Amino acid sequence: MLNDVLSALSAVATLQNFLIMTAGIWGGVIVGAIPGMTGTMAVTLALPFTFYMAPVPSILLLVALYKGSTYGGSVSAILIKTPGTASAACTALDGYPLAQQGKGGKALNMALYSSVIGDFLSNISLIFFAAPLALLALHIGPPEFFMLMVFALTTVAGVSGNSLLLGMVSAALGLLLATVGEDLYGSFRFAFVPDMQAGLSIAPVLIGLFALPELIKLVVLRAANKDEAAPLGAQHVTREEFMGSLRSILKGSVIGSILGAIPGIGPSSAAFFSYGEAQRSSKNGANFGKGELEGIAASESANNGACGATMIPLLALGVPGDVITGVMLGAFMIQGLTPGPLLFQTNMHEIYMLFIGMLVSSVLLFFAGKVTMRMFTKVALIPQTLLTPLVLLLCIFGIYSIASSTFDVAVLLVMGLVGFGMFLLNIPAAPFLIAFILGPMIEENLRRALAISRGDPAVLLSSPITWAFAVLIILVLGLTVRREFLKSKERRVQQ
Amino acid sequence: MTKPVLRGVLVVAFFALCAFYLIPVYVPRPAFIPGFAPPPDMWPRTVSLIGILLGLLVLILAFRGGAPAEEAIKTDKSSTKRMVLRFAGMVIAFGVFLAALPFVGFLIAVILLTLTMVLMTGERNYRAWIALLSVGAPILLLLFFNFALGTQFPKGALLKTLGF
Repeated sequence: MLNDVLSALSAVATLQNFLIMTAGIWGGVIVGAIPGMTGTMAVTLALPFTFYMAPVPSILLLVALYKGSTYGGSVSAILIKTPGTASAACTALDGYPLAQQGKGGKALNMALYSSVIGDFLSNISLIFFAAPLALLALHIGPPEFFMLMVFALTTVAGVSGNSLLLGMVSAALGLLLATVGEDLYGSFRFAFVPDMQAGLSIAPVLIGLFALPELIKLVVLRAANKDEAAPLGAQHVTREEFMGSLRSILKGSVIGSILGAIPGIGPSSAAFFSYGEAQRSSKNGANFGKGELEGIAASESANNGACGATMIPLLALGVPGDVITGVMLGAFMIQGLTPGPLLFQTNMHEIYMLFIGMLVSSVLLFFAGKVTMRMFTKVALIPQTLLTPLVLLLCIFGIYSIASSTFDVAVLLVMGLVGFGMFLLNIPAAPFLIAFILGPMIEENLRRALAISRGDPAVLLSSPITWAFAVLIILVLGLTVRREFLKSKERRVQQ
Repeated sequence: MTKPVLRGVLVVAFFALCAFYLIPVYVPRPAFIPGFAPPPDMWPRTVSLIGILLGLLVLILAFRGGAPAEEAIKTDKSSTKRMVLRFAGMVIAFGVFLAALPFVGFLIAVILLTLTMVLMTGERNYRAWIALLSVGAPILLLLFFNFALGTQFPKGALLKTLGF
């Protein structure tokens, strides 16, 4: 085995591979940091270039883009409250208030340290736990998967905004929107126009909901705060601040690694789950959402922690963990490699090369993040009245370029208006988005479970795993309601 | 009507519209469904009914004074009427952009939309930057997406007629 590892190490340690990974990480950070440009877009756009590359470097390029963009999403989330990727939505909750307090650099540094640690630990988990976790995921059937998704949604609804109830309303809206398009039996649901028959793409809904309301707020409310464009100020993360967040970083890395390994969950849910857990268990929980470094640490360690782990089901079972690993599955196929149990028997050399390359890319992420951070701090100096229309411009070009669809651009603009309406009504947007992404999988698994059980809903509580998730759901609901009750009581006392 | 009550009414109204009008009309059931598989309207109907229940809970909490704390929305202290007009202007700008796109082409439509948005933010300084952002940035982005990534943008019926 040692010989295999050394052989793989010498194959990876070439200037060409180093440059490819550096370019991937840099490109990913830059793309992720630009609102409207997603990691999915970066990986998809790079896919045609991999035709001309050897198998392992091509996969390393895509992995590097994925990692870089996941971290890059935090840059715009912190500086202009526009998450470059869905997984950075939680980072904006605390990053933006910190930037407004003149601690944007500190927030960016904490995001970088957390991302690198999360990413590194995630790679370790990929190397050591791929087979056992893949085996576990293999035993999850439709009822268990349904309960798992409901659990993820409940958690997200509980941690977003001021109210569990409004979080659940938001999730219900997202679930309903996800039903638009062709059904399993060929029925077209809510297809008001022919373009809606194929359903709504994730990118315009995500970007419209998170990026455009900022522009609409600026136009309608005109509450541009001049402080928002101020220089970043304090950048150094003190030892005390880092140590204070270390528990959440490690916990977030583990949450990211576990949730990332389960197909369909991905970095976004991992980030929300980790953020909720950190808020619940931290002594600074009350400060979350107002500019708490620990919140950024929890969110970023989990979303980057999920990056390596999403490769576990992809490599071991041939099942992509999220959209990006779905694109990577295509890249493997292009290279003549078929992910799955056989890959570990026939292409062990490539597997070792991939593992080593992924560990190296974690280190590269640190340096790329440090250098790119200085470049992106200039974003904060641009007046909001110029930056936000530029965001709109990037969003429109980015969305159109994905599928050359004017309809997607229309969805983007409409979702911007919906996001603004939700902001006015104090309904959080994050549960909407997660429900929209998980919606098709939740429905499919529910329908499959009901079909298998001949329509008996008791199938949803038919195994120890489903019972465990049911207990967890009740626990999360109970804890969230208790927290809200205490907050409400505190408010009444203050009044 | 207070904001929490309005929120509850809107949530109930939206989900009721879906459950009792949109689903029966826009979610057709196929003539044959194999085995015990649930029909296509099962899931959206379930979600809509849950949505109505949640909306009613929001309403009950609003009437009982248990609604979550409302965060004050920062504005420039303009009147509500003025802000509604700005919002209407924005919706019209988006609508005109989408309607004009097939005729004037992607580039001109995007230039006009960007310029409109910058002006609607109230920005009147940085004139050179406004011009660069409205005209230069769309051209640069179009060239990048077109040449580097091969994206073909609609040229527009009007420009085609003029021979472009």
